[in-house]
Amino acid sequence: MSMSAGAGPAGNRRRHVLDLDDFSPQEIDEILETAVSMKEVLGRAIKQVPTLRGKTIVNMFFEESTRTRISFELAGKALSANVVNFTARGSSVEKGESLIDTVRTLQALGADILVMRHGESGAPYLAAQYFHGSVINAGDGRHAHPTQALLDLFTVRQRLGRIEGVKVVIVGDILHSRVARSNLWGFTRMGASVTLCAPHTLIGPASFWKATWPDLTITSNLDECIKDADVLMTLRLQKERMEGGLIPSLREYSRFFAITAERVARAAPHCLVMHPGPMNEGVEIMPDVAVSAQSVIEEQVANGVAVRMALLYRLSGE
Amino acid sequence: MRYLIKNGSIIDPARRVATIGNVLVENGKVVQVIDLADLTLAPEALDDHTEVINARGAVIAPGFLDLHAHVREPGDEHKETIETATKAAAAGGFTTLCVMPDTHPAIDCAAVARQVREIARRRGAVRIEPIGAITLGRAGQMLTEMAELVEAGCVGFSDEGNAVADAAVMRNALAYAAMLDVPIMAHCEDARLSRGWGMHDGAVSIRLGLPGYPAAAEEAMVARDIALAEMTGAHLHICHVSTAGSVALIRAAKARGVRVTAEVTPHHLTLTDQWVLGNLATVHSEGKSSHRSGRERAETDDEGLDLPSRLKPTLLPPYHTSTRVRPPLRTEQDIEALIEGLRDGTIDAIASDHEPQSAIDKECEYRLAAPGISSLETALGLALTLVHRGKLDLVDLVAKFTEGPATVLGRAPATLRPGSPADIVIFNPDSPWTVDPAKFLSKGRNTPLAGQRLKGQVMLTMCRGQIVFRRGNFGVGTGALQQASRLEGILGGENEE
Repeated sequence: MSMSAGAGPAGNRRRHVLDLDDFSPQEIDEILETAVSMKEVLGRAIKQVPTLRGKTIVNMFFEESTRTRISFELAGKALSANVVNFTARGSSVEKGESLIDTVRTLQALGADILVMRHGESGAPYLAAQYFHGSVINAGDGRHAHPTQALLDLFTVRQRLGRIEGVKVVIVGDILHSRVARSNLWGFTRMGASVTLCAPHTLIGPASFWKATWPDLTITSNLDECIKDADVLMTLRLQKERMEGGLIPSLREYSRFFAITAERVARAAPHCLVMHPGPMNEGVEIMPDVAVSAQSVIEEQVANGVAVRMALLYRLSGE
Repeated sequence: MRYLIKNGSIIDPARRVATIGNVLVENGKVVQVIDLADLTLAPEALDDHTEVINARGAVIAPGFLDLHAHVREPGDEHKETIETATKAAAAGGFTTLCVMPDTHPAIDCAAVARQVREIARRRGAVRIEPIGAITLGRAGQMLTEMAELVEAGCVGFSDEGNAVADAAVMRNALAYAAMLDVPIMAHCEDARLSRGWGMHDGAVSIRLGLPGYPAAAEEAMVARDIALAEMTGAHLHICHVSTAGSVALIRAAKARGVRVTAEVTPHHLTLTDQWVLGNLATVHSEGKSSHRSGRERAETDDEGLDLPSRLKPTLLPPYHTSTRVRPPLRTEQDIEALIEGLRDGTIDAIASDHEPQSAIDKECEYRLAAPGISSLETALGLALTLVHRGKLDLVDLVAKFTEGPATVLGRAPATLRPGSPADIVIFNPDSPWTVDPAKFLSKGRNTPLAGQRLKGQVMLTMCRGQIVFRRGNFGVGTGALQQASRLEGILGGENEE
């Protein structure tokens, strides 16, 4: 394979992946191109290349995760890295060790890349300041989930052949969603137009969003905005939102904001249905839609490994 | 010991005076103030027991009165002590600190208030006046023994850090405090609206994914407390006003005669929520931590900044916990309204809200960090940016540190009038300096200003006629200079030699 490690922020080699806000369209483009090659590797009988041999990746998960953690683990292993999984449960974090001390310890143990999932927005930025290697944000609080956004971009490009000019509707609990925020950076930077659709309690004032992403459309009328969507992405609705008084009931939420077959039928036939998972089937998406021909939900998961390989490769700077 | 402070710009807001002149201090009191236009210094002033302090180019003003400081003693001495806080206060030009009752134990009974005053008497560099808790343990339920607390020296009441959630308790507190003629100093926050907060609720909080502390969480409580003050006729003082909406509510209340006063902090007057966003480039740069201190950055700062308008959040990485303060840093629109509030008298005082934290309280995830800024030593320099930007007159600024807070406490403002206690600050409003938390006298190194260039620095502070802070050799002339200034001082008077 011959791929060049292109420029990251300010023309330097990229060190951390904390969010997509500092990715140029060109850099995203290069990663998506690399991911095509990586996907080819994953299709081989022996799904492994020696690129990261001798490097140590620590998956540092302070929050539950199935697909992201396994996806990173598989990506690291396919590149021949040593992959170590660390979860907050059963670690010294339970004994009160601070994040900074944990990072220092992993540093001392020889980690080269930290893949980090944390419940607090901004935690990877703190880790990045104390770690001499690279930090990849695998989801921090409500803030960012850049690798999810990259795999969503990759999936859209593979399916629709382009990202520029594509109309993306993101529907659901936008306020609490790191997936929505990173996808906003990713899709707007690649020239797609994005509509956010949510009840007012799950998004907040439109002006707060438009200050950062001025070309956004914000609505609470799903039936209206679904009509000319090319991509329909729905987000997980956590049941605590109802207990917190943000929505009156799951039933009402589902009636007005769920992705149903009936609603999808009103969109264009090529419209993709996406979900970052895990799904609450029957709440934000109906089971039949999730497995319909327009759904690319499983493809998103599969593409995640290739995209993460591409990213790890880029950080290795070979 | 006698001191002759010479050739400074005397600003005495209480007397509406701003002039060049000399101040003679003896036995803890101001003895004489001499306008240089009228050089008639009494000859006995100049003897071997008189130290001459050359204040040329500097401002001589009454010592600053801080309505709002957290000194952490008793109970949290690892964060700050009365000794270190009062030293920091002296370095910031403050000669009196009103200290908040959120200590451990809280200042909620006379014994603790007396203990604070006793420690201050023994180890304090400047004066300390305790503020009592409104409710026992600051828990918002049972009123403290306010009359006895006033007897023990408390100058006001506050559950600072907590708002009194129960409006009926607040009503009773206001009515009872009115009987004692002391203010209720309210921390205004509807804790349900700010639950789980990370920063100001706005564009930056949405971008950073931090739960918001809406302006309305403050304003709803300001509105409630104003209604209760109006009903009881009590004196309500609003602590650390941070939003345009609060300023409007206070202005309207004052206009209809409600006894309400207000304070604002230097950081809420100058810094915005953009400081939480910081500068991503600081994270990507190779090398060691940028989280610790601004010193290295300050040393490599070769831009030679001397304009305070250059104050910028670009030295900090995103989510830097030094920017986490309660109430949170707001927006430019709020800052404009706060400055207007200072100008038109809606806001009476600038208060430090000095809130020292230990490193361990701050070196963690953003939302988990203890809020607060160690602000005594940067308060003047930061507030002076308003003067340098032409937003506020220097005399008005000094008044917000002296006359304004005295009015809130219902007392005659400190002044340099002969016979007054010699609580004096000398500061150079134009001298540029770089904020280096490692050099703070406070134990709290928590400031977002590390590495920033400020213009305006305290040179010397005198409390009760004693020098409690002196920067370097400030005011000490060489022999020849001393001689010259003596001669200058004698001009027009009798020759003693």
